[in-house]
Amino acid sequence: MKDVAVLGVGMYRFGMWADVSNATMAREAGMAALRDAGLSFRDVQAAYVGHIFAPVMAGVRVMKEFGLTGIPVQHVENASATGSAAFREACLAVAAGHYDVVMVLGFDKMTAMIQQSTQGTAPENMEDAILPAAFFALWATRRMHERGMKAEHLARIAAKNFNNGALNPMSQRQADKPVTAEKVLGARMVAWPLTTMMSCPIGDGAACAIVGRADLAKKLRPDRPVVKVVASTLQSERYARGHLFMGPVVGPAPMTVDSSRAVYEESGLGPKDLDLVQVHDAFAIEELEYYELLGLCKAGEAEACIERGEFERGGRVAVSTDGGLIARGHPGGPTGLAQIWETTLQLRGEAGKRQVEGARIGLCHMMGGGSVCVIHILQRD
Amino acid sequence: MTQPTRPRVPIKAGYFTVPDDPAEPPKLLGTRCDRCGEHYFPRRAICARAECLSENVTDVEMGPRGTLYSYTFVHFPLFGSMNVEHMDGYGVGQVDLPEGPRVQLPLAGKQGDFRIGQTLQAELDTLREDGGRDLVIVRFRPVEEGR
Repeated sequence: MKDVAVLGVGMYRFGMWADVSNATMAREAGMAALRDAGLSFRDVQAAYVGHIFAPVMAGVRVMKEFGLTGIPVQHVENASATGSAAFREACLAVAAGHYDVVMVLGFDKMTAMIQQSTQGTAPENMEDAILPAAFFALWATRRMHERGMKAEHLARIAAKNFNNGALNPMSQRQADKPVTAEKVLGARMVAWPLTTMMSCPIGDGAACAIVGRADLAKKLRPDRPVVKVVASTLQSERYARGHLFMGPVVGPAPMTVDSSRAVYEESGLGPKDLDLVQVHDAFAIEELEYYELLGLCKAGEAEACIERGEFERGGRVAVSTDGGLIARGHPGGPTGLAQIWETTLQLRGEAGKRQVEGARIGLCHMMGGGSVCVIHILQRD
Repeated sequence: MTQPTRPRVPIKAGYFTVPDDPAEPPKLLGTRCDRCGEHYFPRRAICARAECLSENVTDVEMGPRGTLYSYTFVHFPLFGSMNVEHMDGYGVGQVDLPEGPRVQLPLAGKQGDFRIGQTLQAELDTLREDGGRDLVIVRFRPVEEGR
């Protein structure tokens, strides 16, 4: 990826906002990103919009909130990785020279979806028996069998993410006192060994990134560092024996390995160069597996690294610095863009109390059910 | 066990057999690639292996036994089930079939009944009554030692 920068970022805090519309959340996130970039909507030449739970046309309609300027508006959907996939399309379009300034907007309201689903429709699908929590619990049980992982390791990851989230004003879950592993273990069991506190919440929210030509970034905001997008990949699965075709499938492991290799190769960087990493920690077991699959540690060493606190802020490489999906939240469409928001602020040195000292390079990893893996590497120029 | 007084129909057609004899275990409906021999569940029209992609495939029945690869117990009622057995939760497992595929389905039993590597057998499980018929899903139950 050449000469593409994040010009601005904005969020509408993730949470249970039953009385706030998608249009309001998206407009506020988008206007925040434009102000952050030092741009007006008149400067935006194209928009990529992502949502999962809103009906068809929702993206084009929500974009009218900013004014009707005739720009191309394109919907992008890739399950949990929707915002990340939309971000990638915008970066590719800028890199290809089609546009100078592009808006990427993600929003969703899971509270609305839940109101609909409780009105009662009978399942007509075999796959309804397998909840996402069950699918990831199967990863955890297997990990215990193969590597001797304990539920305590998952609890330590979740506690770390809760405590990071408490320092992020945009985080959905805001613990009022430090969260311990014991508290996570004592939370309600969802699917053994995963408790509610090892699982992401449902929620609503919006997030926006303005991407554009890197030379514009310096002109627009000479007062701060330029954050470049130096690598991007999106991969789907390759078949291997044991592949699961049914259920809420995310994986298999080689997809994240192959995707991370692609971004390391494109950027000329490696896992040792990363100062901070955001992953698809919808469940704590995912974050543990991604430590190894992204090359942050060797296979089989995740548990020992967790015990040494290597992925905490101030550790070897800080992971899920904004609270991750577990604390910051995971409404769907905006989630991947929240990772871009966090990484951009960190690389500028604007992340406040949760700032990773001297952060220069950050990686954002999302999985989309089905499944796909999307990874970006951002670097301070 | 359920009384086979009502006809049994699958929650969704095309995934498993419903034998006339209630004592006979169901089989999973899959596909074999005639070119490379890979087996799949559920059925498909084109071999998924990047090196193959053959359209010469044959419908096959697989199971009823398999080996437990991983398991969990979900502490929520089984969605769409009116069966009291499912109200306190249900097991879920990934089961490796001898033909090759790994399948992900509900398990019969409690948390302590499951261990990785054990042999399981497919059975039909009633979710609810529907117009005089029993709607059934396939699940796996641990096979007792020595059977």
